[in-house]
Amino acid sequence: MHSIWAVATNTIKQALRMKVALVFIILLVVLLPLMGASMTGDGTLKGRLQTFVSYGLSLTSLLLCLLTIIISIYSLTSDIEQRQIYTVLTKPIRRFQLLLGKLLGVILLDVALLALFSAIIYTITIYTPRYFGVSQAELTRLKTKYNQASEAEQLGLEDEIFELEDELYQLNNEFLTARASLIPPEADVTHEVIDIYEELEKTGQLPPGASRKKIIAELTSRKKLEKQAAAVGEDLIWEFNNVKPLDPDQSLFIRFKYDVSVNPPDLHVYSSWLIGDVRQFESGIEIETPIYTFDRKDLIRTFHEIEVPADAVAQDGYLAVGFFNVPLNDTVVIFPLNVGLEVLYKADTFTANFLRAVCLILLRLIFLACLGILASTFLSFPVAVLLSLCVFFTATISGFLVESFDFLSENLSALYSYTLRPVITLLPQFDKFDPAKFLVPARLLSWSLLAKVTGLMICIKASLLLLLALLVFSFREIAKIII
Amino acid sequence: MEYAVETFSLTKIFSDWWGREIVRAVDDLNLRVRYNEVFGLLGPNGSGKTTTLKMLLGLLYPTKGKAIVLGGDGANPKISAKIGFLPEESYLYRYLNARETLDFYGRLFALPHKVRKMRIEALLDMVGLKAVANRPVGTFSKGMARRIGLAQALINDPDLLILDEPTTGLDPIGTRQIKDLILKLVERGKTILLCSHLLADVEDVCDRIAILYGGKIQAQGRVRDLLQQTDKKQITTGSISDTTVQRIKQLIQNEQADCVVTSPMDKLETFFIRTVAAAQQQAQPTSGAVSTTQIGAFLTPKTLTESILDKLVSARVSQEPRPEPPTEQVHPVETSQTKPDEQLLSKLTKPAEPAQPKPVVKNGKAKTKPVKTETPRPAEQTKKSILDQLTGRSTPQNEDEDSDSKVN
Repeated sequence: MHSIWAVATNTIKQALRMKVALVFIILLVVLLPLMGASMTGDGTLKGRLQTFVSYGLSLTSLLLCLLTIIISIYSLTSDIEQRQIYTVLTKPIRRFQLLLGKLLGVILLDVALLALFSAIIYTITIYTPRYFGVSQAELTRLKTKYNQASEAEQLGLEDEIFELEDELYQLNNEFLTARASLIPPEADVTHEVIDIYEELEKTGQLPPGASRKKIIAELTSRKKLEKQAAAVGEDLIWEFNNVKPLDPDQSLFIRFKYDVSVNPPDLHVYSSWLIGDVRQFESGIEIETPIYTFDRKDLIRTFHEIEVPADAVAQDGYLAVGFFNVPLNDTVVIFPLNVGLEVLYKADTFTANFLRAVCLILLRLIFLACLGILASTFLSFPVAVLLSLCVFFTATISGFLVESFDFLSENLSALYSYTLRPVITLLPQFDKFDPAKFLVPARLLSWSLLAKVTGLMICIKASLLLLLALLVFSFREIAKIII
Repeated sequence: MEYAVETFSLTKIFSDWWGREIVRAVDDLNLRVRYNEVFGLLGPNGSGKTTTLKMLLGLLYPTKGKAIVLGGDGANPKISAKIGFLPEESYLYRYLNARETLDFYGRLFALPHKVRKMRIEALLDMVGLKAVANRPVGTFSKGMARRIGLAQALINDPDLLILDEPTTGLDPIGTRQIKDLILKLVERGKTILLCSHLLADVEDVCDRIAILYGGKIQAQGRVRDLLQQTDKKQITTGSISDTTVQRIKQLIQNEQADCVVTSPMDKLETFFIRTVAAAQQQAQPTSGAVSTTQIGAFLTPKTLTESILDKLVSARVSQEPRPEPPTEQVHPVETSQTKPDEQLLSKLTKPAEPAQPKPVVKNGKAKTKPVKTETPRPAEQTKKSILDQLTGRSTPQNEDEDSDSKVN
């Protein structure tokens, strides 16, 4: 252990005395506050903070990723190239200890730098609203002023108070929070689809030239959409379990978007909603939790949110959402798959969510450090950096890559699905677990998700890389061939 | 275990990518280095010396055969804890300073903080780099880097010291010091395996040598046996008169033998060292940038190093009076006008004076004496105790005692 620690501290010293690390650190320390001051987003305070957090974290993540790649690779390759490793490995240290020491050093440095930069981002995020006078204290001040003011002044103050309340509300409910999101489970339509397929086959109505797989996929998505559609006068009911709002006094939000079969003249859809524990109707028992109803008129193809007091949720976490397509509409209303409807509720604080989002970045860095160590056990510095950068960028757009290859590869499916696809799926998915994706819409990044990512990215993928690195390194000859 | 290093038909073949043999660097080598001897591995460039050493240390894997070092595998931490290795060049972390460098290597050996600190100071003193201990080693000249390299090889008090070209890049004084050090370490029971192509160096220190060519041993044996011309005799005398010479010639001719009479030449090395020492004694300003003077200045003048080296061997009772080292009369130099080299020099020489080894040598038991009888001068005392420790003569008890008194 002592030798691992000695190597780790030496690695940290090396990194800090290297100009690259300093450049990155100074760049971030200067850029982050600058971004906080200059980014305005869509003009609202919420938009401003969303932009800052998103860009700030992305920039930090990108620069630290690059730094990690460079340092983890440079540390070992320079040792081998400049041959300090001769004097190190002839001391009582095992080769795996040398590698682990290097890895530990890089990770410790990452933790320290990440803590520094995320602290800067967090502080700026928390203090910007106060700087612009959007705070509870300011609201109280205005209200007392309002009470003491003359009637003429009160009119002006009213507007001001209203505006401030609105902004505070937006900020606290849509950004400085962590909302869990529940999506209705997809209906299982396999049997129905197969029935339809067989029916079509019998009657010879199958479209010519299309494969079975393609037809089934087409039928499935059509069938699923059907389950999410309500004709005029019909209703849809979604049931959710495990709804656990942090505080029953607060609100939960039903976020939805309409598609329609025929565009209504004014592009609006009238609706009637019913939200609460509908089981109480069936059993006929006394109403314990309130059931709320709303009548609305909403623009189609955009997202809307209905705010519902959180006490609508039953004790056991049950919540039902009912939608009624009122006859006024004259069109079928469809909720698009996956994004059509979800229930959002505050499940945790912004701080905790931010912390987990930063952990997500750390996981990335640890993975890249392992990758760098592996690459440097058998490649020279420039080649190893190139390889790691390729992996990094591939992982950053892995979702897009998989999708596009899936789409393009219908004709070369065998080749693709046995070669490229496993490789891409072996890489971690940085884009899928992008911290900004959680923080900007204030979505909960749960501990369980974090644990899942840790398990996948670190415990399996990164440790595989590390194992490979140890294996390669312990069998390779260290000395250069000089005769 | 009879041998410190033993190899059994050790072979190293370098092949190209297709597995075709390119070079047979070491070929069926059977090397045997006994405990407590200086073994020299000689050979022209590319004869497989360095390759052999690297196989002993596990940096290269033999194609065939086996090497046993101190009764085991040289790459095994238990074995390598007892080995000191100086590679063909001093490969150091350029961004660390001299002290940090030694500290790093000391930590790899898991030396406790106190011991590490004491050994580092002693070693810095010994290699004459104390004054530049806080400078990054990337700024060191080749000779200075070599000295740090040597210091790191000694930090674990090794039983076996493997030196690859120990004197490259060193000036004659440094070379002399290393040779003295080697001899004194052997007196303390260490085994030394060195490889070199500087024959003069090898001749001076090695007990036994092997000459390699093409990866094979061409000759092996005791230096004396290999070099002594048994059919000739040499007589060295003091200054004698011509008539005596004539009489001796006569005597020899009576035995039917030839006889040549000349005045013996000094070795150039001896002459060089004497000249530089004389210059240092007079505190002559050096002409700056010229070759070795720069290193010579960082070099502690011979006395300092010697005094420490003497302490290394102080347990050996020596009754001979030691010649007075020249630096005793070093004049203080005016700091305002002198070059930094000389300031350094004077700084270095001052602490050296109290460290004169006389009482130590007479007494012959250096390790306990200074602590108990004198008010200890911290620097001097530390040096002694560490050097004792370094060379393995002191018991753990003494170590504690020394460190305690140092704290006080």
